[in-house]
Amino acid sequence: MTHSNDPRGASRRDFFKISASAAAVAPVVASTALHAQPEQKPDPFAPVEVDLVVNGQRRRMALDARTTLLDALRRHAGLTGAKKGCDHGQCGACTVHVGGKRTLSCLTLAVMVREPVTTIEGLAATDGALHPMQQAFIDHDAFQCGYCTPGQIMSAVACVKEGHAGSADEIREYMSGNLCRCAAYPHIVTAIQQAKTQMEG
Amino acid sequence: MNKPTDQTDLSLMKFGIGQPVSRNEDPILVRGEGRYTDDVNFDGQLYAVFVRSPYAHGVINGVDVAPALEMPGVVAAYTGADLVAAGYDTLKCVMPQKQRDGSAMIMPARPALAVDKVRFVGDPVAFVVAETAAQARDAAEAVALDIDPLPAVTTPEEADQPGAAAVYDEAPDNCALDYHFGETEKVDAAFAAAAHVTRLEIANNRVVVNPLEPRSAVARFEGGRYVLNVPTQGVFGFRNSLAGVLKADTKQVHVITGNVGGSFGMKASVFPEYIGLLHAAKALGKPVKWTDQRSESFVSDHHGRDQNVTAELALDAKGKFLAVRISGHSNMGAYLSPVAPLMSTLNIHKNGIGTYTTPLIQVDTRCMFTNTVPISAYRGAGRPEGNYFMERLIDEAAREMGIDPVSLRKRNQIKPSQMPYKTPTDTVYDSGDFTALLERAVEAADWKGFAQRKRESRKKGLLRGRGIGCYLEVTAPPMNEMGGIRFDADGGVTIITGTLDYGQGHWTPFAQVLTTKLGVPFDKIRLIQGDSDKLIAGGGTGGSKSIMASGAAISEAAEKVIEKGKVIASYALEAGVEDIEFAAGRFIIAGTDRGIGVMELAAKLREGGLRLPEDAPKSLDVDHVHRLSPSAYPNGCHIAEVEIDPDTGVTKVVSYVMVNDFGTVVNPLLVEGQLHGGVMQGIGQALMEFTEYDSDGQLVTGSFMDYAMPRADDTPAFSFESRPTPAKTNPLGAKGCGEAGCAGALPSVMNAINDALAEVGVKHMNMPATPRRVWEAIQAAKASAAA
Repeated sequence: MTHSNDPRGASRRDFFKISASAAAVAPVVASTALHAQPEQKPDPFAPVEVDLVVNGQRRRMALDARTTLLDALRRHAGLTGAKKGCDHGQCGACTVHVGGKRTLSCLTLAVMVREPVTTIEGLAATDGALHPMQQAFIDHDAFQCGYCTPGQIMSAVACVKEGHAGSADEIREYMSGNLCRCAAYPHIVTAIQQAKTQMEG
Repeated sequence: MNKPTDQTDLSLMKFGIGQPVSRNEDPILVRGEGRYTDDVNFDGQLYAVFVRSPYAHGVINGVDVAPALEMPGVVAAYTGADLVAAGYDTLKCVMPQKQRDGSAMIMPARPALAVDKVRFVGDPVAFVVAETAAQARDAAEAVALDIDPLPAVTTPEEADQPGAAAVYDEAPDNCALDYHFGETEKVDAAFAAAAHVTRLEIANNRVVVNPLEPRSAVARFEGGRYVLNVPTQGVFGFRNSLAGVLKADTKQVHVITGNVGGSFGMKASVFPEYIGLLHAAKALGKPVKWTDQRSESFVSDHHGRDQNVTAELALDAKGKFLAVRISGHSNMGAYLSPVAPLMSTLNIHKNGIGTYTTPLIQVDTRCMFTNTVPISAYRGAGRPEGNYFMERLIDEAAREMGIDPVSLRKRNQIKPSQMPYKTPTDTVYDSGDFTALLERAVEAADWKGFAQRKRESRKKGLLRGRGIGCYLEVTAPPMNEMGGIRFDADGGVTIITGTLDYGQGHWTPFAQVLTTKLGVPFDKIRLIQGDSDKLIAGGGTGGSKSIMASGAAISEAAEKVIEKGKVIASYALEAGVEDIEFAAGRFIIAGTDRGIGVMELAAKLREGGLRLPEDAPKSLDVDHVHRLSPSAYPNGCHIAEVEIDPDTGVTKVVSYVMVNDFGTVVNPLLVEGQLHGGVMQGIGQALMEFTEYDSDGQLVTGSFMDYAMPRADDTPAFSFESRPTPAKTNPLGAKGCGEAGCAGALPSVMNAINDALAEVGVKHMNMPATPRRVWEAIQAAKASAAA
């Protein structure tokens, strides 16, 4: 397998063209090979340009097309707040907001992202004042090791905005995708109840 | 007589010992600004990925890294042979126990990478270093393993069968340790004379530790020193262990731990990967980073628990406990972890006695090698299990003998008037009012209203049960622990100590101790815990001892600051040292209102504003080491109620009451959080966490989709109370709370489940009470009733 060092990389538009055509012809690879020009064969290792808006800032990066949003944030944008707990979409530690919706950044390829991304680093006000959910987590001792906390808080903010924080039971249900091995769950629920009042107040 | 200033008064009311102070690190962590090991990067760092055995057992014929070296970005690849050639020592078990006959336990050597044989699925055999993590991952897949598979054993009972595959040549019967404690003849006599004997086959299921932060490390070799950023439970001991394996002087090894995303005992060990990474960093002259992937963590982190016992309780006609006997097997896994046999041997008899006057205890454990992930300490490390075995026996005996379970416990509990109480397992309880806690828990749980609640559950078609867990834990004895105090140039005060929090939040309670003892402002206090270069001693965290160990070290160090400060203050105040008194943060000339605050004195020293003679101390800084102190005995009573749907087997813990004695509680807010965590991990083990190997030794529960972890919707309503009796064994009077939740939860939840299932004829439900297993138990009971 050759490795392209083309500094320009491929644009995201190119990536989607490649993906789409690859998907369309996937079952008949052999016949595609007959028709494809050898010099046009895509290099899967070629860097792809990724253009993200994260916490209000535009970030352009040339990435391996396989790079997840989580790795793009952590390794390339220097935003280590979102955590890798499983890389399988099974623990919620990597939860960020994409277009305001909670999204598992480990299951999202960076090249797929078109809407603005908010991470835990972008949740506080520009003057540094904590978001009511961040403050509520402190007030209620809603975490211990803090590793799942960025994901819990992002998920919790969305849980309230979605209208899924009506009761303790509803909060537990809609927060059950975020694992906390320290099991701060009881305090997380009370923190969300406090923040809900402030967010909606 | 020296009244504290108003300011100090206020500060102590807000931040002194006993106050529910929010944690200092919280504002950092909620902004996502914690520095966990994977958040640490160095310029030019390379990435390592390990190649692990896909077989549970096999002979290594060859490991060919040549194809990996051809892959893009690959810088190097190493095998076991490379590490052997470098001459490193093997990974060691540091808590061996004696065999029944007094001889040494069998401790086969474990090289960091397997050399001759692989012994479990996940056993590291090689690693690849590349410019990016993705390149390293791709290349690791290209490493060719030539392994001849051998038959595997996964359970300790199977490993103890004649003809079972031998994991080691030096242990042909797979038995690492045939452990025995107790006076067999007396125990036999007690059982022979007993009016009633209760006997249960109890499983203590294997759990996967699963801290949310996977293990990670960045290795460097700089200035002739090995430097490792890594999550641990205490850098001082970790550095010493690491230096031992590297055959380096401890001065040549530097261990740095930042934030740790949970550990629960697991991350205390020096794991094989770290040796490989340091070797590569030295060989390549560049930092080498490695972060475990979750699917790897399931087979590379040590697991916990895994013991099956026959538990027996002998009682006289009035229900007085005569003797308890616990015998069976425990699983060591494929290699001995640093503490391998501790949990299933010593800690079973130490903790099995619990709060009772049982005069005799016998423990026989065959600790077996198997082709599974090594077993190490997990929250409680034998303490929850010892309590669990005993409390299950008591509830079962109560049912069999027709005695109320509360009354049976009371008849046998040690009374405050019996303190200090010497147990048959060489511990001496200093304090505690066990029956008072039981009575309070019974009241708080509305024990009398249970019949009504059971009727209401029945109307919904649900079975309801209640269960008690009276626990007492023997904490690890605080070891040599540093209490360093530094008055910094910027006016701050730094505590240096070698316990290390991985979520407990030590900074705040330690600062509460210092502000109480020394009157320094709470908000000026910092904590250094994770830098081995800064420590002169450190026992680390583990066994629920940190507040006793560091609390004592800090208290004693504060005394030394006061002694030095009196001398210095005598010059500042121009008075005789014998006339200087210290109270609430101030050095005062006795009988006057003239004095100087400790912070003011530190400032004067810093600014050179004091003229001191040769023999006077020149700073208030102290390097103190607290020497060994005895274990503490945290205890309490937990009462759980469960509802079980007999049609589906789904079990829910619907209420959970805790009354605990942790002695002096430094920060009740954090203690309650610790208890929630411990109880939920207990509920996890009791209800859902099921680690399953197939007969080939493949872990079939190797992801969060296959291995159930407790979630927000598994959390019951908690009621939490503290009923402390201060410990007499340490200066703070603290007892330690980190593992207590598990010790209360396993028995209370399983006793509740068994209480509910007794109604439909199930004799004994083992952990984990998953819906399938509960449903099957109900069906089997129905079938046998019909037969």
